[in-house]
Amino acid sequence: MLLPTDPGSTDSELIERWRGEPAPLLALLHAFHDRDGYLSETALRAIAQNLRMPLADLFGTVTFYHHFSREPQGLNAPRICTGPVCSLRGGREMLAALASQGATAMPCAGRCDEPVPVLQGQRVLVGTKLDQLVHKATILPPPNPGGIEECVFAEIRQPGRNTLAGYRRTGGYEGLTRAVTTMTPSAVIEFVRQSKLAGRGGAGFPTGQKWQAVADAVGQPKAIVCNADEGEPGCFKDRAILDYDPFAVIEGMTIAAYATGATRGFIYLRYEYPEIAASFQRAIDAAVAANLVGNNILGTAFHFALYIRRGAGAYICGEEGSLLNSLEGKHPFPRNRPPFPVTHGFENLPTAVNNVETLASVPQIMRRSPEWYQGLGRNGHAGTKLVSLSGDVQQPGNYEVPFGLPLRTLLYEWAGGPLPGRSLQAVTMAGLSGGFLAKDDLATVTIDEPSIRSKGSMLGAAGMIAFDDRRNMVEVAHNAMEFFAHESCGKCFPCRIGTQRLTERLAGASPQTLPIWLAEVDDISQTMKAVSACGLGMAAPLVIESLVRYFPEQVAQHVAKVSD
Amino acid sequence: MEKTVQATIQLDGETVNFATGETIYEIASRADKFIPTLCYDPRLQPFGACRLCVVELKGSKNPVASCTLKATPNMEVTTTSERIEKFRKTLLELVTSENPTIAVSPLRSYASQELSLLVERYAADTQRFAGEHSGHSRLDDKNPFLLRDYDLCISCYRCVRVCAEQEGDYAISVMNRGFHTQITTEFNGILKDSACTFCGQCVQTCPTGALGDKKALRFAE
Ligand SMILES: Cc1cc2nc3c(=O)[nH]c(=O)nc-3n(C[C@H](O)[C@H](O)[C@H](O)COP(=O)(O)O)c2cc1C
Ligand code: SF4
Ligand code: FES
Repeated sequence: MLLPTDPGSTDSELIERWRGEPAPLLALLHAFHDRDGYLSETALRAIAQNLRMPLADLFGTVTFYHHFSREPQGLNAPRICTGPVCSLRGGREMLAALASQGATAMPCAGRCDEPVPVLQGQRVLVGTKLDQLVHKATILPPPNPGGIEECVFAEIRQPGRNTLAGYRRTGGYEGLTRAVTTMTPSAVIEFVRQSKLAGRGGAGFPTGQKWQAVADAVGQPKAIVCNADEGEPGCFKDRAILDYDPFAVIEGMTIAAYATGATRGFIYLRYEYPEIAASFQRAIDAAVAANLVGNNILGTAFHFALYIRRGAGAYICGEEGSLLNSLEGKHPFPRNRPPFPVTHGFENLPTAVNNVETLASVPQIMRRSPEWYQGLGRNGHAGTKLVSLSGDVQQPGNYEVPFGLPLRTLLYEWAGGPLPGRSLQAVTMAGLSGGFLAKDDLATVTIDEPSIRSKGSMLGAAGMIAFDDRRNMVEVAHNAMEFFAHESCGKCFPCRIGTQRLTERLAGASPQTLPIWLAEVDDISQTMKAVSACGLGMAAPLVIESLVRYFPEQVAQHVAKVSD
Repeated sequence: MEKTVQATIQLDGETVNFATGETIYEIASRADKFIPTLCYDPRLQPFGACRLCVVELKGSKNPVASCTLKATPNMEVTTTSERIEKFRKTLLELVTSENPTIAVSPLRSYASQELSLLVERYAADTQRFAGEHSGHSRLDDKNPFLLRDYDLCISCYRCVRVCAEQEGDYAISVMNRGFHTQITTEFNGILKDSACTFCGQCVQTCPTGALGDKKALRFAE
């Protein structure tokens, strides 16, 4: 259970509660953190001793996670979003006003469609004025104006869809029933392969191929890990699914388990979605009670146990190697690859790590057909993609688009275009990791990986943040690079030092002439892109590269100002 | 079981044998190739942090870290290229930008000149990316054996790894993240209050002299 820890629990009760569970460390740290309001030295000593961890390692690892507080009362100190959208909506001013109450900044907390989130303990409030903060339900994805067919969002607006009864009433569990009672595991994998479903968490790896590799790998027990870390600024699509369609994720994971032979599943949920930790646990409990998760699922010999673990504030824990280390209670550095998680994943055993959206697509594919799913895309691309669109557009929100849709259709027809009297200057891709698209490219690009990559960017998890003609793009890029520096894990040299030096150059350090500034930025960027150890360091330079490419005048002005 | 057919890779155009489990870096070292490293210590598990050891691998768009890459038959590897030399130089310029200086007494420790020798070899400009420094020296740790001058630390984790892997003491670890990474002990205390046994292994593997042998330094005075 992930319900709030009883304030009266003793240390040994908490330890006994979690010690025998899989992936106990994060759960145990949260239990103490929730009970005491911070992680005391006594708590860490008790945990280290009982989990047989070196104290120095545990201490170091706890300091890696920004939301674990080591000061009394730290849990309830307000954390205010200063992400790219919230910075435009007063987040930084709100932070300054609350600084005396111990408020701290947090990076994008996934509420860009309704800024500014303020996280306090187990609750998120939103609002742009401190005296008008309210607790609000996630916004339902707006329907698209063309009535274009959807997959993941097809049923999400049905009332009661997030209850088990409502889910079943709207086609839920038809897919699992079909898979488990009429198909072999390898037939299920073949089905998914034929649909051409690919990873929606950013890397786009074919899902059927990933599952096949796990099924083929030697070693038991295998695991399915649902990546619900959603840390990329500008991305809030997984939150909508987890809130309004939790059973689609559970069913998708269960189908994945059946297909691969996995018997354990973990949902790794970002810290900034505390209400979901509780609601999703209730969904799991309901599925267990209905014999849809647990032992002898649907009366067969198939077993699958499901656990939620909460992160604690680290974007890098969305990277799968880092996520697995975090689950295992290790220092959350990314892992060297190869080997890959499909053979050496959770506890070095075969593991499929999949994004929330990927998994939520699976039940629909199973109840309909691979051809149906493929046919949803355009121009030879298969299927659909959720786009989280925010910033300076009339109707921000989560949209499910057919792959191949022109970007301008989404921006101008679906989301209403810029605010009255304004024009769009730039749109970020992949949240922030793809840098900017701007100028003519906004008019010509289509929403699919090949088209966006041909412009030197990437679609990734498809967060898109729009900036209109009022915005200073150097400032926007500076804010973005600060995020990457803040989130760099610190292991590999090019990212750890490069993100810091690029941030300094966007802030105004190193008074240089323009040619020298450009040469320095280019050398750092090329090095980071080529030799960083993971995707964070490889992608971070795209922001500054695209800034230089599209907005040379703004860059020249910035450098001239600095060197004055 | 040993394979009967000897597996080989192409290394800078020459055919070289390798044993199962060997990394590209190990094979290249045997073949007397020069590949720069900072986070590598042959006694430790490869870590892949400094990225100086990258090499060209046929079929891979980006260079790959040779210290962590295990050889598979018929790989084609080039240990140097124009772009790789440039990346290495830029990496060295980035690393030195974190520290106030790179010149330290060789008496501090066995490996203490590794960084400065590489900087010299690559003619890296240590001031090029000058900016905020990282790492804070622990001059408050008055133990008579180990100097903890983290102003010079480059976060290669060799000390942390040698303490865990070779000594099994697990006395030191790393706190915070990103640029604020700092080598530490439990609760960021002094060594006397930690699991440290003052074996001195960490000092001997440190490639910058951030850790120093206080006895040797005293003796020289
Ligand atoms: C820095 C970084 C952060 C990432 N964050 C996420 C994330 O929050 N959610 C996610 O699903 N994938 C994230 N990924 C991608 C994962 O590593 C992995 O590819 C993905 O979870 C696989 O699932 P999929 O194949 O279903 O997309 C991230 C990757 C990197 C490099
Ligand atoms: S690129 Fe390197 S420093 Fe950055 S997050 Fe990845 S491994 Fe860590
Ligand atoms: S020696 Fe290869 S990355 Fe450090």
